[in-house]
Amino acid sequence: MTAVLDVRDLDTSFVSPSGTIAALQGVSLTVNTGEILGLVGESGSGKSLTGFSINRLISPPGKVVGGQVLLHGQDVLTLGEEDMRQLRGRRIAMIFQDPMMTLNPVLRIETQMYDALSAHESITKTKARSRAIAALDEVGIPAPEDRLRSYPHQLSGGMRQRVAIAIALLHRPDLIIADEPTTALDVTIQGQILALVQRLCRDRGTALIWITHDLAVVAGIADRLAVMYAGRIVEIGGVDDVLDNPAHPYTRGLIDSVPARGTRGKRLNQIPGRMPALTDLPKGCAYAPRCPRATAACEAMPAIEPISDTRAVRCFHPLTGEAS
Amino acid sequence: MTDNVILSAQNVSKQFGGRGDLVARGLARLGLARPRPVVRAVEDVSFDLYKGEVLGVVGESGCGKSTLGRMVAGLLDPSEGQINGRAPDANTGPLPMQMIFQDPFSSLNPRKRVSDLIGEAPRVHRIVSPSEVNAYVADLMDRCGIDASYRDRFSHQFSGGQRQRIGIARALAVKPEILVCDEAVSALDVSIQAQIINLFMDLRDEFGLTYLFISHDLGVVEHIADRILVMYLGRIVESGPAEQIFNDPQHPYTRALIDGVPRLDRRRTVYEPIKGDIPSPIDPPKGCHFHPRCPLAEARCRTERPVLRDIAPGRQAACHLIETTAIEGEPKWPATKTG
Repeated sequence: MTAVLDVRDLDTSFVSPSGTIAALQGVSLTVNTGEILGLVGESGSGKSLTGFSINRLISPPGKVVGGQVLLHGQDVLTLGEEDMRQLRGRRIAMIFQDPMMTLNPVLRIETQMYDALSAHESITKTKARSRAIAALDEVGIPAPEDRLRSYPHQLSGGMRQRVAIAIALLHRPDLIIADEPTTALDVTIQGQILALVQRLCRDRGTALIWITHDLAVVAGIADRLAVMYAGRIVEIGGVDDVLDNPAHPYTRGLIDSVPARGTRGKRLNQIPGRMPALTDLPKGCAYAPRCPRATAACEAMPAIEPISDTRAVRCFHPLTGEAS
Repeated sequence: MTDNVILSAQNVSKQFGGRGDLVARGLARLGLARPRPVVRAVEDVSFDLYKGEVLGVVGESGCGKSTLGRMVAGLLDPSEGQINGRAPDANTGPLPMQMIFQDPFSSLNPRKRVSDLIGEAPRVHRIVSPSEVNAYVADLMDRCGIDASYRDRFSHQFSGGQRQRIGIARALAVKPEILVCDEAVSALDVSIQAQIINLFMDLRDEFGLTYLFISHDLGVVEHIADRILVMYLGRIVESGPAEQIFNDPQHPYTRALIDGVPRLDRRRTVYEPIKGDIPSPIDPPKGCHFHPRCPLAEARCRTERPVLRDIAPGRQAACHLIETTAIEGEPKWPATKTG
């Protein structure tokens, strides 16, 4: 397994008149060929920001202030803007939550797909058209020739997301960053998109980062899982390890908060309080004020330490080795 | 059991559009304009709500679950059929039902302080005397988990979860018997969602509330509901006790829905989703609404609307093929696999 993406100690900050807000701190993760990494967290945990930082889509006042983003060993943070343009869409593609926002409402699907192709290759319109038809066919859009003439508003939400996926896959990227791509979709349509993305990534060996707040979605498709809290990764590891034997108390709390089979009618094991604002982070571990295991030691920030070959956790009192 | 029915809907339908204004109607009569499309958002829905239960309503976009909720809450009038038990007994009596909305940001008036948001309705309806309003509001805030010292704040000073608590306190302030929760926890983060679900369950025990709990999130509904209505394109396709619906769904749509839900215990799942999009409610398919997507559909399903009929005590389903498919064992189409 070779690492397609290797993110090391990524820091992203926002500069505001009232001070600098460290929105991402020391984020490190790797994604291998053909692997699906689930990046989970609640609102404001920095999961989307991680995706945007990797693709360098942070606009001022936000700024990536430290770390490395190695794509096949090459640090994309040191690239010039023009090189970065060449890389985006061709080697790193993104799929966003709301396909109505990412597709241009006044251009036909055909135009948008041609634009995406011609941005990185010199290609004739006829060739682009057949590539576009093939791509739409691959994501399961019926009658792709007709759909090329459609505007986004003429398609349903699921169809629009398929078009967005088809555009993301046009250049056969090494890495796809999918930011909550099924959150706006209905259950049966979500199932269709999950099946599609899963098949395409497996067949082509594309690495995928699936950003979501929904643990159940990543349980179904991810190989590995990274859990974020208040701008930091608190736990990373294989999906079975993390979900069956969570080491970080926050991961445990998150899993217990999800209504699941067997909890019917019982009280959910809720986490008290809520995530602190990034402007007002407590000293030390950000989870300590909500954590049942917190001690005086938690007033210092724990480092993210490996607890096995494949897992790492940022906690002084991890839950390892205890019955959960 | 019938003594416990506190609300009963009989053959309720709701249509939107159709008539248009005078000009549109005139033009349509002269053949100059096409008649405006009619959306049959809810079609011939009947159900009973028993005292103290949580009735979950599940379905995807456009299935009419929110329209149904709004009719139950009295915000919309049914086009046909009737809902009994809705009107207050006397002008000064407690309001029998209240609604909790999805978006805690737009459902609270940003110009009002919390004390007014919660306290206005009971004052106007003379549920408490003006001198006791303060204590009443403080008590409600306390029960819903908001610090009573925040009574003079505005809603923008609260987080999403706290705002939802304010919305719940506001609804409880008029002593309702029924709470209609329309996607009340869908906009919240997982850890906050768990807090609000627990709050709903505590309040149910404390005040003896009855809930109509509308959600697209099957996990949440499975957790909280006693009975469930499954809706598809305006019609109820299946209803019954929550446990039975989830463990042994009878209607092919219910099966597809439950099968398609990602769950924590399903790893490396191979999704075999049901094909096709949800049809537009403006032009629903003939016969059984689900037939274009149904892997079992027969000729009869394309022409004849299946009626909602009893298939077991307390359970109903609307499918022609229940008897032929109800044989124990494997589903007849490839279902979602795990492993």
